[in-house]
Amino acid sequence: MDFGTLLHTINSITPDRPWGIDIPNYFWFTGSSAAAFIISSFAHVFGMKEYKPIAGFSLLLAFVLLVAAPMNLIDDLRQPGRIINFFFYGWENFPTSPMKWGVLLLIAYPLLILVEALVLYRPYFWFSKGIVRSQEQIEKDHHLGVILGAIGIPLALSVHGYTGYILGAVHAIPLFHTPLMPILFLASAMVSGTGLLIILLPIFQKFFTDFKRVDMEMMQRLARLLAWFIVIDLVIRFFWLTFAITFNGEEKYALKLFFGENFWEVLIVDYVICLFVPMIIGFTNYFVRSFKWVLFAGVLSAIGVWIFRWNTVIGGQSIGKTTPFLLEYHPHFTGFDSILSVLSNWSLLIALIALVMVLFPWDKEMANYYVKHEER
Amino acid sequence: MDEKELQQGRRGFVKKTTALLSAAVLAAPSAKAISLTNPGRESGDARYIGQEGKRFGMVMDLRKCVGCQACTSACKSENRVPKEKFRTYVPEYELGSYPNVHKAFLPQLCNHCAEPSCVSVCPTGATFARKDGIVVVDSEVCWGCGYCINACPYDKRYFNPITNVADKCTLCAHRVDHGLLPACVESCVGGARVFGDFNDPHSAVSKLLSSFPTTVLKPASGTKPRVFYIALSGEIQSLPYSPKVLDDMARKIDGIATHEWSGKGE
Repeated sequence: MDFGTLLHTINSITPDRPWGIDIPNYFWFTGSSAAAFIISSFAHVFGMKEYKPIAGFSLLLAFVLLVAAPMNLIDDLRQPGRIINFFFYGWENFPTSPMKWGVLLLIAYPLLILVEALVLYRPYFWFSKGIVRSQEQIEKDHHLGVILGAIGIPLALSVHGYTGYILGAVHAIPLFHTPLMPILFLASAMVSGTGLLIILLPIFQKFFTDFKRVDMEMMQRLARLLAWFIVIDLVIRFFWLTFAITFNGEEKYALKLFFGENFWEVLIVDYVICLFVPMIIGFTNYFVRSFKWVLFAGVLSAIGVWIFRWNTVIGGQSIGKTTPFLLEYHPHFTGFDSILSVLSNWSLLIALIALVMVLFPWDKEMANYYVKHEER
Repeated sequence: MDEKELQQGRRGFVKKTTALLSAAVLAAPSAKAISLTNPGRESGDARYIGQEGKRFGMVMDLRKCVGCQACTSACKSENRVPKEKFRTYVPEYELGSYPNVHKAFLPQLCNHCAEPSCVSVCPTGATFARKDGIVVVDSEVCWGCGYCINACPYDKRYFNPITNVADKCTLCAHRVDHGLLPACVESCVGGARVFGDFNDPHSAVSKLLSSFPTTVLKPASGTKPRVFYIALSGEIQSLPYSPKVLDDMARKIDGIATHEWSGKGE
């Protein structure tokens, strides 16, 4: 029996939906930060030499993204001046309010990255003062870096995993309510983080280093990595959707309605254009050798994950709890939680990237891998 | 200045700074002492504690509801609920297919759940249940993240545009604490809304619960609502997802589509 033919609401109200455009942006920032940290850990913790040249750069990127991310959250608050309440009150809800976990995670994680970056770049800072570190000291630093990185990996996963948890815990919204949400968030984070590196690395190598050339081998490596991350992402989404829409209880009706109505935005744009296309580029020798195609794949995947965050956060809230059909969201252009505030946040991110990249000698460190001794 | 004087000067400086800092820390959250839970409850404020030993809730006798919206307007004026926001309202449903159709009314308000999902997710502890089960928001502590609004399966929370924090039905706790009935109950023309203490076996609500089969909205959500319904139609009990219908047409006529969030009307 189809309820729709039976039930009509003659009058009801438009219910409040609190999370606007800031929130998908926040999730994109924290996710990309976690991914950038993991990629830097490939070299720092797992000793994968091929990622050494970008490990420092990637670590700095992870730091900047995580410093800029909470600004989205503060902007989304209706009482941003009461941020102190987040620290003082409500600790009784710590076990049941994933948002509360952010108090610890959002403080600990950026601090840890900062310390790791300072340890990593210590020889360069000292060298600029004319002090050369002894081999013993360098080895000690390296050891410390490995330990910090090893602590950082679960922390990075938690920082982004908890944002997925925030949504997953909301059983009132069928699209959010899945235990897969933290994993889903992490998988798509790896995609956007790698995509962002593919976009930023050539810009920085070409224009802000002394050697002024793009490491095409690294670009190819990142494109292949991206393709594998997309595979993981798609597999998890496959489990999520096939299970939720087929075997769910009441929730499956809402999900069918949602995916049916948003077929174009969700399945064609997000899945086919922004995931399948970069995956094919990453796995095909012909495309992966071309700088333009790799860059295209990076841009597509970074945008695609943003769209995924949008579809999840906004789409989930569009599903009616007490009203029939779906709600529609039109973000404001100005004011709190608006398109302008998200653009401002991106400007802040770019400014912070510029500042951190000026302060840290990432180019000198990177040059170690690209410039032969004679050239230096 | 000899060494002793210097030391005393240092000591004095440390003492003064410590005193100033501690005063600042104590005075910071609007002159309330720091508490890890809710300052109102910590200080034993009766409005935050409620009536111990009682368990307030409501029984809706749908056989008596005529959909007059007296409760809606009484609530709005009693609680000064801002324009376009509602703590309680009565949607009107059309059930069946032409020509076999009938109307149904579903008065709704916060269910003051025994397992409220809004309380457990609140990161500041601003939303909590009093000892008598009434779920309230401390508008001094709430920072407006909206987690509770999304967590409520009944859509019974909203952002109050005046206080800029989450707001909801309080079962008229300010009236109940003075021995009065909630405004919606007092104004209900058909006597469909019955308020009382579930812990008291002689209360009207307890008697109704023991005399009639009752049910709650969305029982599968696991929130254990404490607003019970008599004669609730099965079709609307879990408020199922349906295609765009009359609501959306009404929204279009009302021009609601200009809002940030609105119905996806045709």
